[in-house]
Amino acid sequence: MITSTRTTRSIRSWVAVMAAGGLLTLAGCGIDDPSEPGDADAGSDSTGGGGADEEAIQIGISLPLTGDFSEPGKGVQRGYEAWASYVNDNGGLLGRDVELTILDDQSNADRVASDYEKLINQDGVDLVFGPFSTRLVVPAAQVALDYGFLFVEPAGAAEDVFTQGFTNLFYAAPAVAQDHYNYLADYIEAMPEAERPQTAAYAAMDDPFAQGTAYGLKERLEAMGVETVVDEVYPPNTTDFSSIAAKIESSDADILVGGSQYQDAVNLIIALQQLGYQPDLAAFSTAPTNPEFAAAIGDKTEGILSPTGYTPEATYPTNAEFVEYFNAEHGSEPTEDEANAWTTGQVVAAAVEGVGCADPTPECQGQLIDWLRNNEVDTVVGPLTWDAEGRPQGAHLIQQYVDGEITIVLPDDAKEADFIYPKPEW
Amino acid sequence: MDLFIQSLVLGILLGGLYALLAAGLTLYFGVMRVVMIAHSAFLILAAYLAWWFTTNTGLDPLLSLVVTVPLFFVVGVFVQRVLIARLKPATLTMMSVLLTFAIALTIEGLLGFVFSGTQRRIQLPYSGASFEVFGARIAVVKLIAFALAAVALAALYFVLKATRFGQSLRATIQNSEAAALVGIDTKKVAGYGFGIGLATAAVGGTALALDATIYPSLHWHWIGPLMAIIVVGGLGSVPGAAAAAMVLGVSQSLLQIPMGTTWAQTIFYIVLFATLVFRPHGFFGGRLAQRF
Repeated sequence: MITSTRTTRSIRSWVAVMAAGGLLTLAGCGIDDPSEPGDADAGSDSTGGGGADEEAIQIGISLPLTGDFSEPGKGVQRGYEAWASYVNDNGGLLGRDVELTILDDQSNADRVASDYEKLINQDGVDLVFGPFSTRLVVPAAQVALDYGFLFVEPAGAAEDVFTQGFTNLFYAAPAVAQDHYNYLADYIEAMPEAERPQTAAYAAMDDPFAQGTAYGLKERLEAMGVETVVDEVYPPNTTDFSSIAAKIESSDADILVGGSQYQDAVNLIIALQQLGYQPDLAAFSTAPTNPEFAAAIGDKTEGILSPTGYTPEATYPTNAEFVEYFNAEHGSEPTEDEANAWTTGQVVAAAVEGVGCADPTPECQGQLIDWLRNNEVDTVVGPLTWDAEGRPQGAHLIQQYVDGEITIVLPDDAKEADFIYPKPEW
Repeated sequence: MDLFIQSLVLGILLGGLYALLAAGLTLYFGVMRVVMIAHSAFLILAAYLAWWFTTNTGLDPLLSLVVTVPLFFVVGVFVQRVLIARLKPATLTMMSVLLTFAIALTIEGLLGFVFSGTQRRIQLPYSGASFEVFGARIAVVKLIAFALAAVALAALYFVLKATRFGQSLRATIQNSEAAALVGIDTKKVAGYGFGIGLATAAVGGTALALDATIYPSLHWHWIGPLMAIIVVGGLGSVPGAAAAAMVLGVSQSLLQIPMGTTWAQTIFYIVLFATLVFRPHGFFGGRLAQRF
């Protein structure tokens, strides 16, 4: 009996201690819950303003901050953080600060899905923004769809994104990957037949976005009689491009189209330089717009071109303000990745202001999705509307390195310099 | 120019680099039965040091070898004496996989912390330079990397064949118990062997940095092919690793012509599979691997 009483007392004591601990924990949560999104302890990065934490709108994001897509991933991060800080400096969203929780998915498609599961389920975020790259957007969008969340994304442009039944997805850029080179294709088509390139080489990363951009142009060029002499697809982790370069050099193709991200484009260009290959036109998706590009290939950039959905010089209503704010924060003009992230913020903000809610309930998320289906949003990349699958209804500009600066050359009504053809030697 | 000739030349240059990168890996196993998963992480560490050296001094990355080769040798001896030597002989091979896996993760984490995940590339005045020989174009950076590989492997061969330490090392590789019985300090030999292995990683990483974009997790890309090379060559055999590296480098480059990049990269694993089925001890491994 004595033992039993002692045991009972002991249990009571433990229960009392646990209860007191629990109360203290709960009290602590009310003041500053370390499990709240945005807390550094959760391995995240937060950007909050001056408002009270409990009122902040929590936005969850996973980005490739390391790994294959780390360069553009960090650009998107800068864009998101600049947007959040701008919103907070200007009164917040619905009068509340916004606070970002950014996780690193290491460019891994499995990781990105679990990141969004965590953000929605464990962290209880109010809204989510998309990651970078089609390969990561698709699994992320699926998680968002499973939970009925609005999913606006800055970098999933491949056709694969829009054919999988994502009724919650909106791409925050002017055009899908397949259409990125439309103005360039129009230009080549308008050339006198004798001056047109006769042969083309394509080298594309095994990635839906990168391949989408290259093959969109390939379809157009083949339709106008430009023969494909090399069509090479390489895995994303390819590091040695010398054999691909040898194939292209051997084909002596008139023009080269790279369906590329940053690192592979740089490696391929240097491998081609080493073999002395000199195309009349060299186009690479995304890489040339990266600020590190010129330094990476040794300033032999003249004439290299790339489609872009953004230019700091654009006269769209909010763009000048964006460029000024970003410049003041970072000391440089925003790039396309940064602009697309900012655009994502603008699109979601427009829906939130339009509907008047920002919470994870199915009702609110459903209203946000419906609002974007039926409205046009003014952004730094122009006014955006979407079709039922989330495709934006616009077009990309064509940029080219002219006198060492990347400059808009197509279409004619937006150009800042004349299109260079053939390309000077690199 | 003829694509076959060009691809053959590229394959030989690539094979030389592979041989250098794999040399240390086979040495660890030969001397100590240690499967050194962290070898490729040390390669990337050396590549980062070369990049850091050039970025901050403006000098050629090859000059960084004056510091990194002895540094890596000392680190190798330290790692062997302090970490590897503590593992129990009965489970050494298995436990070395786990231990060196942890070392690789630690190096990757440190590189990410110090240099961030941003991709880096050394931009040299001769990065895009090349010259033509018999119709094939040879990039200067690839030739330098090949020359580095040749010099490092020749030095390694000289040490193994012509020095007293080399004799001790070879004796330890062939039969460590017998070597101990005839008075060879096999523990000391193991430490120095590990140091030499990491010194080759310093040279290999620098050669790699001359013509590649580097980032902290890049070592995972390399460890698979390097393991395949030393298994095909025969665990513990430096000449075997060199021969396998050359065969695989040339095969990969030539197969890329008809098969494309994706399939050409699988050559490592197809050859590895065939080797394990038909000659499990590799082409130069002999009885050593059979004992394993």
